[in-house]
Amino acid sequence: MTRRLYDIAFGREGDKGNIANISVIARSSEAYQDIKANLTAERVKSHLGDLVQGEVIRYEVDNIEALNFVCHDALDGGGTRSLRIDGLGKSLAGALLYMEW
Amino acid sequence: MTYRIGSAEGFYGDNVLSALPMIIGEHVDAVCFEALAELTLSILQKDRMRDPSRGFTFDIEVIASKILPEAFNRKIPLITNGGGLNPIGAGERVKAIAENLGLTDLKIAVITGDDQLSRLSELQAQGEPLINMDTGTPLADEANQNWAVANVYLGAQPIVEALKNGADIVITGRVADPCIYLAPLIAHYNWAWDDWDKLASGIVAGHLLECTGQVVGGNSLAMIDKIEGHQMHNMGYPIAHVEADGNFVLTKTPHTNGIVNINTVKEQLLYEVHDPANYITPDVIANFTTLSLEDLGQNQVKIIGVTGKPRPEKLKLNLNRLEGYSRELIYTIGWPQAWRKFEQMKAMMEATWESLPIERVSYHFLGHNSLYQSVAQLPDDPLELIVRVVFTAQDDTILKTAVRKLMNNGLSGPAGMAISGTTIGQNPRPIIGLFPTLVSRDLIQTHIEFIEV
Repeated sequence: MTRRLYDIAFGREGDKGNIANISVIARSSEAYQDIKANLTAERVKSHLGDLVQGEVIRYEVDNIEALNFVCHDALDGGGTRSLRIDGLGKSLAGALLYMEW
Repeated sequence: MTYRIGSAEGFYGDNVLSALPMIIGEHVDAVCFEALAELTLSILQKDRMRDPSRGFTFDIEVIASKILPEAFNRKIPLITNGGGLNPIGAGERVKAIAENLGLTDLKIAVITGDDQLSRLSELQAQGEPLINMDTGTPLADEANQNWAVANVYLGAQPIVEALKNGADIVITGRVADPCIYLAPLIAHYNWAWDDWDKLASGIVAGHLLECTGQVVGGNSLAMIDKIEGHQMHNMGYPIAHVEADGNFVLTKTPHTNGIVNINTVKEQLLYEVHDPANYITPDVIANFTTLSLEDLGQNQVKIIGVTGKPRPEKLKLNLNRLEGYSRELIYTIGWPQAWRKFEQMKAMMEATWESLPIERVSYHFLGHNSLYQSVAQLPDDPLELIVRVVFTAQDDTILKTAVRKLMNNGLSGPAGMAISGTTIGQNPRPIIGLFPTLVSRDLIQTHIEFIEV
């Protein structure tokens, strides 16, 4: 079985215009140390590929053992302009947590 | 004693009747209904164009007829931004419903001042460049100036004033979502407008409440294995028990479906958040990185230690305009050689796109990469390939012509291909463009109108 980011974390996505944020919340303190050290903004951007056309900014939220990724130009113009079936990006956390880990 | 805020709406169309068990069980001191997503005012604009007396959410009528009588009997105020583009019209409608129900001595407060559509030139003349927050372009440089909606995100202040004047129901247009929930706390506790930590605590409470089901196990990856489908049908919506110092316990309506625990709170805490240390609202900038969570069990999570910074100088103003139309067609292509047939179909379609002023086209494969795009791996030799084609044009008649031309190829196209009849019969869908900008708060005046029944 392939180990995925989902095995050690969960998360949720949100949209504001054409910007999506994806939280990655660790399932344990060890998992948080792991993702904090290894889940970089560059790695997130590279994994999401076509889904995110712009910059990815990472915020660390130590007090809840979570990372927050703000992905620019991530919704094909935003919920109102997007041609995607998921214009609000409600599946983006799933897309990120699918990452092999 | 704590002050208890219930949340019974997180989007236009939410289950507002979830307010009833909160109110009848007397589990709350105020109930808030947040109805306006970024796009909702565009939907209400369409309603208002058809009938100038509309422009507010239909939910207001349910709130007035089913919930208000129970809340009014128990002196529990209701607050909603479901007035949308026509809060005055919504107030008149609530008055008519209340009179029909025989309610007396009811005070309805209507807040206006968020609608800036008629003031765009005036704001620019007063030196406000209205620069797009995402692209950096000033409003004046936009070629398409057909703004249909322009509303500023107001803060809690006028709602607080309405509540202090004894309003039983407060109806607003655009107010920043969490500020709707902050307002009754300020009205009750008399928090100072520069007591940033307390205001920020109220904002965090509001932020956790404002998406109703999302903090009680809805839309939750953390709770997939903990919650059963039949429970998701009728969740008990959230309630915050807030203390005078701003610390609070997040819980839900007792004896109802749903789960509140540390993980549901964490998921909602970062929902639609950019910098967690600077969550910007009209009333305060909240810092989520100083708080701590404690699971008290029995669907109760305590949140302490939220801090805040002074409110921003400018308010967010969102404009919407029509930017064209889109159409969608769904084809299903069968084995053998499904990929080869897709390439043939695509080339055939491209001849149609080139013959018309079609602007954007996208092709995705439902069941394979429609959600995950390049994250997904496509199969080598699929038995079925479901192709979703979406295309846009400025004019909806161009899209109708395009569909007719595509259908002309019916007997000349690849073998073993079916088209979804419902997608052929669709009408073109308007594409609404958002223009987010900022405006100085001293250029915005709010007004409260009281309607007595």
